Amino acid sequence: MARKIKGPQMIVANRLLDGRVVFMKADGTWSAVAGDAAVAADEAGVEALEVLAQKSADENYVLSIEVIDATERDGKPFPAHMKFAMQAKGPSVRPDLGYQVSPAWEQTDL
Amino acid sequence: MYAYDKYDHALVNSRVAEFRDQVERRVKGELTEEEFRPLRLMNGLYLQLHAYMLRVAVPYGTLSADQMRTLAHIARKYDKGYGHFTTRQNIQYNWPKLSDTPDILQELADVEMHAIQTSGNCIRNVTTDQFAGATADEIADPRPYAELIRQWSSFHPEFSFLPRKFKIAITGADIDRAAVKWHDIGLVVKKNDAGEVGFEVLVGGGMGRTPVIAKTIRDFLPEKDLLSYLEAILRVYNEQGRRDNKYKARIKILVDALGADEYARQTEEEWQKIKDLPIDFPAEEAARIKAFFAPPPLQVLEDNVPAVDELAKKNFIFGAWLKNNTNQHKVPGHVNVTISLKPHGGIPGDATAEQMELVAALADEYSQGELRISHEQNLILPHVAKKDLPAIWTDLDEAGLGIPNAGLLTDMIACPGLDYCSLANARSIPLAQELGKRFDDFKRLQDIGPLKIKISGCINSCGHHHAGHIGILGVDRKGEENYQLLLGGSGAEDASKAAILGPGFDENGVIDAIEKVVAVYLGERTDGEEFLATYRRVGPDVFKEAVYGTR
Ligand code: HEM
Ligand code: SF4
Repeated sequence: MARKIKGPQMIVANRLLDGRVVFMKADGTWSAVAGDAAVAADEAGVEALEVLAQKSADENYVLSIEVIDATERDGKPFPAHMKFAMQAKGPSVRPDLGYQVSPAWEQTDL
Repeated sequence: MYAYDKYDHALVNSRVAEFRDQVERRVKGELTEEEFRPLRLMNGLYLQLHAYMLRVAVPYGTLSADQMRTLAHIARKYDKGYGHFTTRQNIQYNWPKLSDTPDILQELADVEMHAIQTSGNCIRNVTTDQFAGATADEIADPRPYAELIRQWSSFHPEFSFLPRKFKIAITGADIDRAAVKWHDIGLVVKKNDAGEVGFEVLVGGGMGRTPVIAKTIRDFLPEKDLLSYLEAILRVYNEQGRRDNKYKARIKILVDALGADEYARQTEEEWQKIKDLPIDFPAEEAARIKAFFAPPPLQVLEDNVPAVDELAKKNFIFGAWLKNNTNQHKVPGHVNVTISLKPHGGIPGDATAEQMELVAALADEYSQGELRISHEQNLILPHVAKKDLPAIWTDLDEAGLGIPNAGLLTDMIACPGLDYCSLANARSIPLAQELGKRFDDFKRLQDIGPLKIKISGCINSCGHHHAGHIGILGVDRKGEENYQLLLGGSGAEDASKAAILGPGFDENGVIDAIEKVVAVYLGERTDGEEFLATYRRVGPDVFKEAVYGTR
């Protein structure tokens, strides 16, 4: 489905088995770190990412795929909007707890 | 407390087995997410921002010390060491794995708990007064009725796919601690002139984007007719409630469209058709259920306990706790203790596994092994002998749970907001934390007196902001968190809708505004007048001027 995009886009989802937030990398695999995400700057690029993400959903690895506006933080991709930035960082009130700061949990291989 | 019979056990266990199978099929790819989603929701499993969220019912807010220990164990083994107690008298876990949920549900089933009907368009967990069966100001214990409603509504085939979620609350006291007028159906236990027990029946309350206070459709419904009459109300709703638009699907919209009188008429008409069917419980069954809730054998004790008064004089915090966090019990010499989950700077409603275990131990020692959860997100030890208060408070205080703020400004309700919730527009918890820090002075709080602040992170109103003396609603203003300030709401027997005071603020702005609102109140109040009464007497203008005047 062709559609206009406003700016650079990235893809976020939740992993099926544990619900953890993951960002899609260029090769269609996923990372808990937003900075690893692939960013598409044009419509064709977004569509290519979506195809990869949908494949991953069809393989039951992720669910709740969202194509979101990307910005940069420290020279790396990061979600532009509050809600998705929250996903990238974990709850602001429990900085001790997000997957992002808890490698043991994060690296659970599922 | 109610104890499962073999049917309850069989039902709940078979539901766990069924869900285990569904999870396995989902993981293997035999079920798509589209197919699986309604199945997991029926078992209380949501997907939130960071992870799944499991909502576990605590029927009418009553649980045993052993059940609390299981909640603690689940927090530790399957989650991140804590849980969140909510306005729906539930507990929510924020980090369960999908693959663990069948085991979690089995551990719950083993202690007679479940997550059934904590989500979806069905009749949800019935909520009630946290002091039910224990408070001095009560007409009758509402919990047997809540249990009967639970049994009637669980897996009710006709009401499993209602137009929208459906919430019933019941109070057995004239003082409404269960916000019954804000529910789809509110029940108020009454006695008629002949001394018989029955209910005033209200319908069509609700929050969300269209806040409505429920209207009375029946002044006195005899107790024996309860279930058939509820069935009639639900039938009218199920038939005519809107299914085309989820924002117009709650019963409040239908009651508004038909008018309360017409709703009452149609209910009555429907009821005449079904009231002689075997829907209502036979007297023996009612008696059997009531027996589970028989009052514990407490000894009448002296209400005056010198050691307690002495400590209260010596220690200001204990004195304030004694005043704010205890409620007079039916039996002299006893109280119900509110354990505040609102430490200043903490997260409202959150408790760690260790705190849950401590509270369970205290329940075993001092409150007949029984605990309650309030819709204000606090824990309650019912049936406590007054003489035990110093020992209880000392233990609580050491665990950071001795906060004497029940009913005061910092005893706020706050929903999870944008820190966890995927529907949120703004964060709620950091506001609650900041308020706790700004008002971290118990002498000042005591002077301000009873004041209920309620915070929601979006218009869905899970944090009851419409019913706050001071309500805060998080909105998204051009990608920034913004907060609207509302004044004058009440969730009690004098229920009222809070009104927006003016333009919204950022986080610091809204807390500054609350300081100004409080200052106006302190300046305007007459002797002994509480915040809400002053607001109702003087109106919003003085507050508006103080908050916005200098702009
Ligand atoms: C975290 C996930 C949650 C989701 C997805 C969620 C969703 C919703 C939605 C969509 C509504 C509006 C219903 C309507 O107006 O038709 C609502 C209302 C409500 N929710 Fe939640 N909620 C969540 C958490 C909570 C929590 C943590 C509590 C308890 C603290 C809660 C208690 C309530 C209450 C009391 C209402 C308003 C009463 C009413 O139904 O009118 N919810 N929720
Ligand atoms: S009020 Fe909104 S933000 Fe808060 S829990 Fe409910 S849906 Fe989420």
